[in-house]
Amino acid sequence: MKKTPPIELVIRYRWWFIIVPVCLSIALILPLKKASINPDLNAYLPSDVPEKINQDKLEEIFGNSEPIVLFFHSDDILHQTTLERIRNLSKAFGRMNEFERVISLFDTKEIRGDQGFMNVDPAVKRIPTSDIRREKLREQLRNNELAYRLVVSEDFQYTLIILFPRKDVSDKTMIGLIHEQLQEFPGDEEVYLNGTPYLRYEIQRKAIRDLTILLPIGLTIMILFLYFSFHEKRGVILPLSVVLMSILLSMGLIPLIGWEFSLIAVLVPILMIAIANNYGVHIVSRYQELNAKHPEWSMRQIVIDCLHHLTRPIVLTALTTIVGVLGMAVQIMLPPKQTGIVSATGIFFALFLSLTFIPALLVGMKKGKIQNSFIGSDPTIVDRILQWMGSISTRKPVTVIVVFLSVLILSGAGIAKLRVSISNEKILPQKHPLRISNDLADRYFGGTNTLTLLFEGDIKSPVILQTMDRFERELMQMPEVGNVTSLAKIIRIMSRALNDPDDPFYDTIPDTREAIAQYIELYSMSGDPDDFEQLVNFDYTKSSLTIQFVANDMKTFNRAIAKIDSLKASSPYCTLEGGYSLMEKVISESVVRGQIYSLIFAILAIGLLLFIIFRSISAGLMGSLPLLFSLICNFGLMGWTGLELDIASSLISSIAIGIGVDYTIHLFWRLKKELEQNNTMDDAIKNTLKTTGRGITINAISVILGFAVLFISALTILKTFAFLIIFSLLLCLLCALMLIPALSKVLQPRFLTKSNNKNKLN
Amino acid sequence: MNSMKTKVILTLILIELTVCFSFAQSAREIAEKAADVISFESMEMISVLKIYDDKNNERIRQIATATKKFDSSTKTLIKFLSPADVKGTSILIYDFENESDAMWIYMPALRKTRRIVSSEKGNNFMGSEFSNADMSKPNMNDFSYKILGTETVNGKICWKIEAKCLNEDIEDENGFGRKVITIEKNTYLTQRIEYYDFDDELLKIMSISDYKKQTNGGYFAFRMEMQNTQSGRRSILLIDKLQLGTELSENSFAAATLGK
Repeated sequence: MKKTPPIELVIRYRWWFIIVPVCLSIALILPLKKASINPDLNAYLPSDVPEKINQDKLEEIFGNSEPIVLFFHSDDILHQTTLERIRNLSKAFGRMNEFERVISLFDTKEIRGDQGFMNVDPAVKRIPTSDIRREKLREQLRNNELAYRLVVSEDFQYTLIILFPRKDVSDKTMIGLIHEQLQEFPGDEEVYLNGTPYLRYEIQRKAIRDLTILLPIGLTIMILFLYFSFHEKRGVILPLSVVLMSILLSMGLIPLIGWEFSLIAVLVPILMIAIANNYGVHIVSRYQELNAKHPEWSMRQIVIDCLHHLTRPIVLTALTTIVGVLGMAVQIMLPPKQTGIVSATGIFFALFLSLTFIPALLVGMKKGKIQNSFIGSDPTIVDRILQWMGSISTRKPVTVIVVFLSVLILSGAGIAKLRVSISNEKILPQKHPLRISNDLADRYFGGTNTLTLLFEGDIKSPVILQTMDRFERELMQMPEVGNVTSLAKIIRIMSRALNDPDDPFYDTIPDTREAIAQYIELYSMSGDPDDFEQLVNFDYTKSSLTIQFVANDMKTFNRAIAKIDSLKASSPYCTLEGGYSLMEKVISESVVRGQIYSLIFAILAIGLLLFIIFRSISAGLMGSLPLLFSLICNFGLMGWTGLELDIASSLISSIAIGIGVDYTIHLFWRLKKELEQNNTMDDAIKNTLKTTGRGITINAISVILGFAVLFISALTILKTFAFLIIFSLLLCLLCALMLIPALSKVLQPRFLTKSNNKNKLN
Repeated sequence: MNSMKTKVILTLILIELTVCFSFAQSAREIAEKAADVISFESMEMISVLKIYDDKNNERIRQIATATKKFDSSTKTLIKFLSPADVKGTSILIYDFENESDAMWIYMPALRKTRRIVSSEKGNNFMGSEFSNADMSKPNMNDFSYKILGTETVNGKICWKIEAKCLNEDIEDENGFGRKVITIEKNTYLTQRIEYYDFDDELLKIMSISDYKKQTNGGYFAFRMEMQNTQSGRRSILLIDKLQLGTELSENSFAAATLGK
């Protein structure tokens, strides 16, 4: 038996190889303690993105634009008890220091002209106690442009309380206060929360829940799977310890680098459970096999043989997985980058531990019982399926290829329908209060997308306000646009309240600067100075026009933006465009571009690796086929089923490539080895499927089980991720077991058939 | 020497007496006296209102005001002198004792007088940090008074009087929960008022200075500054000219003649 120095080294200094990684992993718990989760996707945009700079600029001028919105639903919100509850709540919130401003039916103004009077009143001044008064109020609200469809829905079943929190108040404090007050003033109305702070809070809460629940469940499933596979304690302990240490290292790395956990960092431990045990499993499996075949061998002999035979294939498959996963690191957004970098490091650590820590421990153990599975048993269902696959791909290879091709074309056609997610709230489940209230906002309150235009110049001059007014009228003609709010709107409302309908000043922006200045002066006397703060700056040199619109897909969104852009270009006073919707758009575009980068990177890198391993271009091309097939089908499936490309599903291609290519490599090796032993192609294929085929099937099942844990995640995008990654891996497996054999049979590639001793793989 | 001693003793007795007498007064009486000492039946003045935001940007308005007490109400006429774009804008306010105020505005650009009805009273005065309530005499019955102690402000010995809103409605109307008024003992002139919000956190500080004694024996403050400690905004009201009494007749305080 040939002894190689590295294995001897591991055996000689075995305690070092055990203690050092254990201590290192334990030490990494420390940074983890201080780690924090940043659930805000917008925060991950690079700070030099123009949309982000613009948003910051707008916030600097007009204050916080991250309100929390409370939706109240009842049969008739003008009912006395409902209005009393709204009044009590808005009053209570208004008295709190945590909120800068509160908007409800009781704070929104009504500006009304009435026989020479101008009334400036709260939209609801007094709660009606009789039906007649209630209907009168309803009519009044219908005519109040500052309330109708803004704080009360057309059907009077929904009303809002909008809270503008102070910047220094944490999301958690704020949500806590809101829940407290809702309990303090209970009622029958259904209440739904909405707004970016609530979205962040919910994602954070669910991500923490996921981390605390998914990890133990994932580990339990892994333990059970390992135990049922090996029926031996060491078969569980050895891979498990590698997985645990890799999780600690990869997760600990995030705070150590100075990053915050993104919401998809939840995937990292799951990824480790799915991938990091593979290498240990191979070693334990080989140990059990040798233990059964050579009962006379010592533990040392067994370990040395294990490493001698397994080091190269393990290193190569780990390398391809690392390269695939690193595809995420070339993405633009930090969350996928982060996931890519730390999971690649974690996998590398797992590889290192599997080749040092496991043998170091194993060599000190007594030999275990001989496992029956290696003595020979009845064929299982997996064996039978593999047998069938072997025979069909050798007997009817062309049919197999045609079937795969048809599936490819059919599902690939779905790519045309593939949509990109443009709203962050889809991270949460459909039945979540935030998703419900989002639909309500789209249906009754003008939409959830907001975009703000900045006007600069002498805001009191008629030309600017008239431009704003023209923008508003043109925008309101678009079906997507629900509301437009600006200083021009207030001036117009005042012009109706102050002038009689036959007056030239009625319902128009005045032609003189003086008239506008006097309107503004009048408004500032009757309202709160804060009322104006979000519309115009202190010295009347900057003013905002905010557009609310409904857009659930990129196409509608782009159409709305195109119109707004053309309006913006038409006026020299309109200098800037900002808003959360634009940032969400940038995120979507970054996801798409990142996806393309990582696909190109991974496919090229894997093709290159296969070329290097097998010294053949056709190996690189053939080996990439299963990856291309499963990715095209994956994107096609997403298109057909309407699952959108988002920050989590953009990781699928990289991970599927990283894991899926291993199956092909294993298959090529065995096939080549079988052919070297002068078997016919048919026999080689059948033998390969019986042996290696079985191994990769079991391995795939364990990986799929690992990912399946994500089905119980509280975050929808992670559930979708689980579904798609499992689908992709199954396709990779199917390709390796059927398409590759069928192609090999038809093409008879030289890299498999030529005998080359230098290129012997193991 | 002897007379010196007597003088000292007399002064001491006098101080003792003053102190005893002072504490004999209730907090409410002190507050009432402080309000009375700056109260005038009628006057005319020209003032400058400077409004600053939290970045110290400045907005300046020059206004002329005339106030006169009539049988049922105090009537105030306010006219903008500058800036140019609002020059001539006039506001007429009837401050009734037992009913809500009435207000008219004349806008020269529209050449029109309109009555403004607003139910909000805690509103800010002309978009400044002063509230409309700060500009008129407070209703003593809305508050409960307490002497918190004494304090020396700018070398002047002062009372610290707390005035607490009696109920939440009054709080909402005034926009604060309680105020602490610093009143100079000798003159009953208010030096400073601290306003606390509903959570009892400091909200605003009003500093009053440049008191000038008027011919009727009363005092008038020529400088008032309101600092909002929470928002960082502040406003200053400077009196340029003051004249006690007004020659304006009741006719001048009518909506029909506003703007003429």
